[in-house]
Amino acid sequence: MSVLRFLASRLGFYAIAAFVALTINFFLPRLLPGDPATAIFGRFQGKLQPEALEALKEAFGLADAPLFEQYFTYLGHVLTGDFGPSVSHFPEPVSAVIGQGLLWTVLLVGLAVVISFIIGTALGVFAAWRRGGRLDRWLPPILALVGAFPYFWLAMLMLYIFGFELGWFPVRHAHSDHLEPAWTLTFIGDVLAHAALPALSVIIVSLGGWLLSMRNSMIAVLGDESIALARMKGLSPRKVMWRYAARNAIIPNVTSFGMALGFVLGGSLLTEVVFGYPGTGYLMLEAIQSQDYPLMQGLFLAITLAVLAANFLVDIALIFIDPRTRIRR
Amino acid sequence: MPGGSHAGHQRRRGVRLVGLLIAVGWSLVAGPGCLADKPPARSGVVTVSHQQSATWVRNFNPLMPNSRWPAAAGVYEPMMVFNTAKDSWTPWLATAARWVDDLTLEVDIRDGVLFSDGTPFTAADVAFTFGLVKQHKALDQRAVWSFLASVEATSPTGVRFVFSKRYAPGFGDLMEQPIVAKHIYAKVKDPVSFADATPVGTGPFTEINAFRPQVYELGKNPHYWQPGKPMVDALRLPAFVSNDAANLALVMGEVDWSGNFIPAVDRVFVNRDPEHHGYWFAEGGGMVFLYANTARGPTQKASVRKALSHAVNRELLVEVAMYNYTSPARAHGLSETYAAWRDPSAIAGDADNWTRFDPDAAKRLLAGAAVPADWSPSIIVVSGWSDWVRAAQVVARSLQGVGVNARVETYEFGAWFERVQKGDFDLAIGWSVEGPTPYSFYKWLMSAETRKPLGETSSGNWHRFADPAASKLLEQFQVTTERAAQGELSNALQRRFVATAPAIPLFANPLWGAYNTSRIEGFPTAADPYAPLAPHKMPACLLTMTSLKPVTK
Amino acid sequence: MVGAWLFGAFVLLAIFGPLFVGDPLAYVGAPHGSPSAAHWFGTTGQGQDVLAQVVVGTRVSLLLGVLVGVVVVSVGALVGVSAALAGPRGDRALNLLINVFLVIPGLPLAIVLAAFLPKSPWTIAAVLMFTGWAWNARVLRAQAMAIRDRDFVAAAICAGESRLGVLWREVLPQLRALLMAQFIGAIIFAIGAQVGLEYIGVGDISVTTWGTNLYWAANDSALLTGSWWTFVPTGVMIALLSFALVMLNFGVDELANPRLTTGRIFDAWLRTRNASVGPDAATPIVPLVQDGPQEDARP
Repeated sequence: MSVLRFLASRLGFYAIAAFVALTINFFLPRLLPGDPATAIFGRFQGKLQPEALEALKEAFGLADAPLFEQYFTYLGHVLTGDFGPSVSHFPEPVSAVIGQGLLWTVLLVGLAVVISFIIGTALGVFAAWRRGGRLDRWLPPILALVGAFPYFWLAMLMLYIFGFELGWFPVRHAHSDHLEPAWTLTFIGDVLAHAALPALSVIIVSLGGWLLSMRNSMIAVLGDESIALARMKGLSPRKVMWRYAARNAIIPNVTSFGMALGFVLGGSLLTEVVFGYPGTGYLMLEAIQSQDYPLMQGLFLAITLAVLAANFLVDIALIFIDPRTRIRR
Repeated sequence: MPGGSHAGHQRRRGVRLVGLLIAVGWSLVAGPGCLADKPPARSGVVTVSHQQSATWVRNFNPLMPNSRWPAAAGVYEPMMVFNTAKDSWTPWLATAARWVDDLTLEVDIRDGVLFSDGTPFTAADVAFTFGLVKQHKALDQRAVWSFLASVEATSPTGVRFVFSKRYAPGFGDLMEQPIVAKHIYAKVKDPVSFADATPVGTGPFTEINAFRPQVYELGKNPHYWQPGKPMVDALRLPAFVSNDAANLALVMGEVDWSGNFIPAVDRVFVNRDPEHHGYWFAEGGGMVFLYANTARGPTQKASVRKALSHAVNRELLVEVAMYNYTSPARAHGLSETYAAWRDPSAIAGDADNWTRFDPDAAKRLLAGAAVPADWSPSIIVVSGWSDWVRAAQVVARSLQGVGVNARVETYEFGAWFERVQKGDFDLAIGWSVEGPTPYSFYKWLMSAETRKPLGETSSGNWHRFADPAASKLLEQFQVTTERAAQGELSNALQRRFVATAPAIPLFANPLWGAYNTSRIEGFPTAADPYAPLAPHKMPACLLTMTSLKPVTK
Repeated sequence: MVGAWLFGAFVLLAIFGPLFVGDPLAYVGAPHGSPSAAHWFGTTGQGQDVLAQVVVGTRVSLLLGVLVGVVVVSVGALVGVSAALAGPRGDRALNLLINVFLVIPGLPLAIVLAAFLPKSPWTIAAVLMFTGWAWNARVLRAQAMAIRDRDFVAAAICAGESRLGVLWREVLPQLRALLMAQFIGAIIFAIGAQVGLEYIGVGDISVTTWGTNLYWAANDSALLTGSWWTFVPTGVMIALLSFALVMLNFGVDELANPRLTTGRIFDAWLRTRNASVGPDAATPIVPLVQDGPQEDARP
């Protein structure tokens, strides 16, 4: 199968997957009880007179069109990316609300995942190369233990110790309130300072996974004849380690890395909640709590598309990293 | 060897990468003293923590319930402000109001008030606002057009409201309607989705100094009608995602005025700086009820409802669920909000005092009502509302103590609300409907007018109770305007409530309010209750906003 | 086998522990009480005994984890192995089903479902089963295909053995080690996800589990009040259990595979690292590399 045909078949599959996800995305919230107007009413707990509820429902256009008619409207909106106004952020359009959150989440979690992947994979290479060495004996269990803690729990602890008690790091938001976003050194530094703790909490729990999978993959590859051959050819150990062994062993990690990137949008929910970070994860929770269907759907779509895109990128990346894929297909 | 030199390059590159990582790590870990968020202290800016949100949306349309908090009372203003702390009306954009006859209310509009763009404010703006609300039902949050026939500006300083039916409680709904500028809103095509990003209002804070998703700041109105006010320069509102985040900021001294629940407030907040930190959790947030379904099951009998009430240890309830921030409810159900209306004689009798913790009395009443031994009612409660979940747990435990096998079921708000509205529950914890007088409160508890059959959606009176005598009293209340006569009716209503126990009052919801006087002073306190402290109390928060001033050193 | 001992201890604690502690929801002392002789782990913000909550929480959380583990792996095995043994058409359909479940964002879906279904830990379990089986199915399908194409299985099929017989006698025994590793991985995943979901409040907060313990600790501002004892014990327990399972997994892995010739088992660990950052949320890579060899080997 040629590369092109292979990619085309993948795209076909992604289209089906996206369609299924979109359909679930549409029906799920509608099968559930409650609506956004009611949720607003609930927030006021008796301060709005009960008669006002009906008026509110009208305001949000909760008209009772037949479900499947709504479905086609919805599909049309998906194609144009127009989900209408968000209810919890009324009257701001969903796309604008998500756009804002997207930026911060991609920055925070994207950065954390990349850093964790690089450090963890590199450590895995070293651990496998010096198998039974000090690094190999101590690091995996230690990281396994650290990684066993729920990451939001570590986030809470770090927030308390470094943010609240010691006052070293900011405790909320993506940047200081008094700074106007700008491409200045002060602002960038400020953003990094705000990202430090939440990113760290993600990095330290996920480091172990990258390390272990790289280490084991590496050990398997090092047992391979080609490596012995390369060594016999007199290539420098470092070259064998990186160019031959690591390159082949990294494939599973690249696959997982793609996934991790795909799940960046929804995966950071708890960190964002703990640190008050205005990203997509927190928006998701907000949308659920205020029964904001349009926002919920927009986010779900964004997350699904991110996953599919990541998958597709992995497909492409593997074609380059792993020549076998090309030949075999 | 070429291969060797290549590897050498790689190593150097690797070293550089590691060096960079260490440098970044260092700057993040070793030198973070300067990283913490220390906003430059500005005098005269009040930092408020009130709504919780990840990001702010620039919506200052005061006619929508989900606009920013200062919109309806801050940027815009009502005609009169009901001061819950004093149980009295404070004239605001209106100077006086009087009933001409049973159906006609005339209001005098304050002269010399300017909008923030310098345009004079007149009675035409008032008439226009009510017209707008009539035209767009979604904006009629107080449902004023359910009792109004017409609104008309009789002169630049006079407005006449004509009612379609005799409905004295409507006075409050009219007076608290925020008034918008005709010259702005008349040009708006769809006022329902109008975000009013640059508002023009009569209120003390109208100028948007800054608006970012994380924080916004409202500067003072250059044309404000109260001379010398506001005494502070601006209100600053950072977006806090959660109660915890807001409390963290308060405790760290970044917030001056807070409307959040604070656990163990003395230890967490006050003790950190007793000189400046203070709070006042007034019991003005309405009553929290245990609603018992009066249309099905054993709770159809008043004696069973009273038995359940006797079974609940409210002292423990208030301690466990509410940190002792409030006091146990009395059998008339009226909270501190209606302090002036409460009639102690209504609950003086031993049998009338059914909010007393008395498990033996509870068992006696249950036995007398022949409640089946296997009755196991569920208490439904909203899952995220943790204080109520805690309360439900204590109540369930108390009921088990008298042999009623109650259990707690939690639902997401939407599911919970659907159940209570349709009357599909045994027991439910819920709020009360509030108003300036006990009228709305009792109407939604025991009026035949608000009672709907089981299965039908009802926005109030979820427990499905109607008392003919109380309904009559409420009808009289509707057409009574004198305070003394209203008081008599209220006393009679309390007796009906005590006699029939339509719902089981648990405790009054406190109004959360805390302050830090190191930069700003003039907050109302329990000792100086000139207004409610809680920013939630709209529009009464206007009274506080216009009384705050910077600390002069 | 540190892992096995530790896990055994957790099982014993879950079974017998609740007999030795009081009612975890009862009001026993002043709120936010620090650890004392009467309450070894102190009291919560509602004056409840933290020790009792941790112990009772162990029972629910562990049971839920094991239950989800069993179901997720069983469903995964059923679908995955059926796909491998079904004809090409059946395989294509099942494979599509698996892959669609893999790319649907598991955590957000779980949150939405858990938020709106009736509240209970078993709802959470059901949600996790629904969103969690596909990953196992994919790995098992790939593995079962490799086995199917081996000579002795082919021989069995030629000898006229029924598909079920082949499945039962020839394929499943070969998958034992992998199933075990997946089972352990699924338990870790389930416990982590459950704690995460309950922590954000979509679970039933009136039931005592590890997740609700943390929810209430956060709700009662454990950090602000300095009551570290309300959340540290639960966090440590979660970590210890996960750690025990990871160690157990290492052990199983080394037994089955002394040379560690496959990294697959560690994929299970990979996806369990935490309740949602990244790959854990079902690690849905759409089959590419791993399916390759088996499809090539198809006659």
